[in-house]
Amino acid sequence: MTNEFVLEMKGISKAFPGVKALNDMQFQLKKGEIHALMGENGAGKSTFIKIITGVHQPTEGEMLLVGEKVSFQNPKQAQQHGIAAIYQHVTSYPDLSVTENIFMNHEIRHQVWKTLNWREMHKQARQLLRELGSSLDPKAQMNTLSVAQQQIVEIAKAISTKAKIIIMDEPTAALTARESEELYRITEKLRDEGTSIIFISHRFEDMYRLASRVTVLRDSNYIGTWDVEDISNEKLIVAMVGREINQIFPDKKTSAGETVLEVKNLCKLGEFEDISFSIKSGEILGMTGLVGAGRTEVCQAIFGITAFDKGEILLSGRSIRNKNPQAAMNNGIGYLAEDRLDQGLLVDWSIEKNITLANLSDLSSFTWIHRDKEKRQAKEFGEKVHIKATSIFDSVNSLSGGNQQKVAVAKLLTKELKVILLDEPTKGVDIGAKAAIYEIVQQLAEAGYAVLFVSSEMPEILGMSDRILVLKEGRIAADFVNRGITQEMILEAAMGEEQVQEKSG
Amino acid sequence: MEQKKQTYQPRTLETNLPFSWKRLFFQWEWMLLLILIAVLLLGSYVSPYFLNYPSLRDGTMVFLDKALIVFPMAMIMIMRDIDISVGSTVALSSVVMATLYTSAGLPMEVAIIACLATGAICGLINGLLIVKFKELSAVIVTLGTMILYRGIAYIILEDQAAGGFPEWFGFFGWGYVFGIPFLLIVFAALALLFGIVLHKTTFGRKVFAIGNNPTASRFSGIKVDKVKVIVFMLAGLLAAVTAIFLTSRMGSTRPNIATMYELDIIAMAALGGVSTAGGKGRVLGVVIAVFIIGYLQYGLGLINLPSQIFLIIVGALLILSVAIPKLGGMMKRK
Repeated sequence: MTNEFVLEMKGISKAFPGVKALNDMQFQLKKGEIHALMGENGAGKSTFIKIITGVHQPTEGEMLLVGEKVSFQNPKQAQQHGIAAIYQHVTSYPDLSVTENIFMNHEIRHQVWKTLNWREMHKQARQLLRELGSSLDPKAQMNTLSVAQQQIVEIAKAISTKAKIIIMDEPTAALTARESEELYRITEKLRDEGTSIIFISHRFEDMYRLASRVTVLRDSNYIGTWDVEDISNEKLIVAMVGREINQIFPDKKTSAGETVLEVKNLCKLGEFEDISFSIKSGEILGMTGLVGAGRTEVCQAIFGITAFDKGEILLSGRSIRNKNPQAAMNNGIGYLAEDRLDQGLLVDWSIEKNITLANLSDLSSFTWIHRDKEKRQAKEFGEKVHIKATSIFDSVNSLSGGNQQKVAVAKLLTKELKVILLDEPTKGVDIGAKAAIYEIVQQLAEAGYAVLFVSSEMPEILGMSDRILVLKEGRIAADFVNRGITQEMILEAAMGEEQVQEKSG
Repeated sequence: MEQKKQTYQPRTLETNLPFSWKRLFFQWEWMLLLILIAVLLLGSYVSPYFLNYPSLRDGTMVFLDKALIVFPMAMIMIMRDIDISVGSTVALSSVVMATLYTSAGLPMEVAIIACLATGAICGLINGLLIVKFKELSAVIVTLGTMILYRGIAYIILEDQAAGGFPEWFGFFGWGYVFGIPFLLIVFAALALLFGIVLHKTTFGRKVFAIGNNPTASRFSGIKVDKVKVIVFMLAGLLAAVTAIFLTSRMGSTRPNIATMYELDIIAMAALGGVSTAGGKGRVLGVVIAVFIIGYLQYGLGLINLPSQIFLIIVGALLILSVAIPKLGGMMKRK
């Protein structure tokens, strides 16, 4: 047998009591290859990754590392064999320094005294970061860094353990276009140095940009491996979803009504300045810009989570001041938080209790909750947004990302709202669920809501919006009517001309 | 390209859970009931005066006074907070009441109202501090007020006792209504009230929601700070009610009464199944746990065992109560 493959998996299966989490998986990873792994949430990707990294042991099949049979009993063994993983939600120690994070569990000790050799570790950390093209201070505390910077630290950590195989689990999910570009560059650099990379992502652009081959999983089954050059978008979607999605974005058939929300000269020192826009009933206003451009801050100020310094918010011509989210909702404004797990949902709770949480007063008399009414409302709104579950008592953390998002939307729908602010509603959900969420957003507009649709992803901004607002450093950089607008035009507004030229050059 | 609108197969969500024996019996409360029976049997084994109705009935008077605070404490713990100042609040409320009656010469009725007000204000201060200074944890804030309230009690009364209350005041600690101790009736009424509030009303739902995810609760329109302040105030108020019963039973008060009450109360709530990580707990479990710890203390007192033994047993029970569900979880996973 040749050692063409650094990692080879033959017929790997993993069964948990009652569930087959992975079935007859085939996988081959070449040296110096970027191999994309795709599939919807729950397709078995994480199980597969956990087997490679030694978290789970396969029930069947064999795993070969450079031609030799291996079986990892724990993550430490996998690490010793040169396998490292970088996760979407960075698993770092936020209160420790960059150096400490990089050398966690394999610290450098002084040769004589056996004490920690900080000087050497800082030096090596700086060196590793510089090799990755980053000028981060090794002494900086981890939680002062952006997600993108933290990921670079995680990559540095992987390199410091002399990893030959690096698994990246949705690394670009929380990154802006520019940061993703930086990550692509680093990933390609690692590849050129002979490291093999398994790259998991929901973003097609990641795959086309980086990977040479792609392996697709669906419903715990291995579907196939293709050269990226040979597979079309449509074929890939069919492989992942198992059915054709003829059209990701729904048809527009709404005509905008009267102006509902009007924001005038909204200012908050250090966050945003002079934000003015209006949304009509039935209209979808796209809002984009780099992360940190102030999109979430604007939404949260409108929703009453944070205060703003100056400006005015008008609802149907009437000036309103939202002291807190409750006041905002009573005024008819709803907000779908960007981070659905931390800000949107009570993940240990049932679908039912999550849906009704914002609307308890309507389901109760003298604060006594009527369970029948509550169940009925949960069922009604849960079915309205097509949550895939068996009963309203299923807990939210048993659902896929897309279905969790639907629960969060259903909760908003229980209130009588006029305006819905959607902050990155499709973040981290798979393609099938994305299409479903787009459908819901479109239905909201058709039902007469004024929708603010915030997203970093250009295709969905272009595919969904009637008008597009581009923020740059807390200010409105452009206000487009979505007709003949291209990604380049948006990028140009979001980043400034020089950077776009740099990118295309 | 011809475009076709996507269709989804309609899905229905079930709204009835099928009956399940496992769900009925796989509850922490059954475990607590077994422990309570074990405690009662143990009590009858060590003392012939323990296991009979008058003994068990009158025994409640010894421990139920502090158990009144366990209900708001459970709410506080469900919200991931803690209040260790309740013992000091009992002492301060009691001292204020006694001083107003004996030294200031006010009517006892007025002194009682002042006692309740003192407790509520103590709780309000705790709540406001915790809500306004988010970087401070509840344990630090209430550690501060625990020392503060106790200190004020000492300044008011110095290291003396105050007593000589009117005769009718003794009813709180020693009175019976239809042969049932008044304290037991109050406890049962509060258990029912808090059970309803916590499990059946919007307020209780909000308490659980906050314990589960404070940020998501706020984003869902719950006034998190308001709920917290109310619950801490309730704890202070119930501490004052405890002060009335305790002072009545003892006939006099000192600034050092109700020392370490907070530990017994937290132990009762934790043993009763209130999760220290927040978000979980039931009044029924807490009530059973109150009787477990109470009768344990009472039974050991009957045979004159040193109180240290009681502490050891309560400590062991607490650790067990945290460990057993974990062990169960591990067995399920294997």
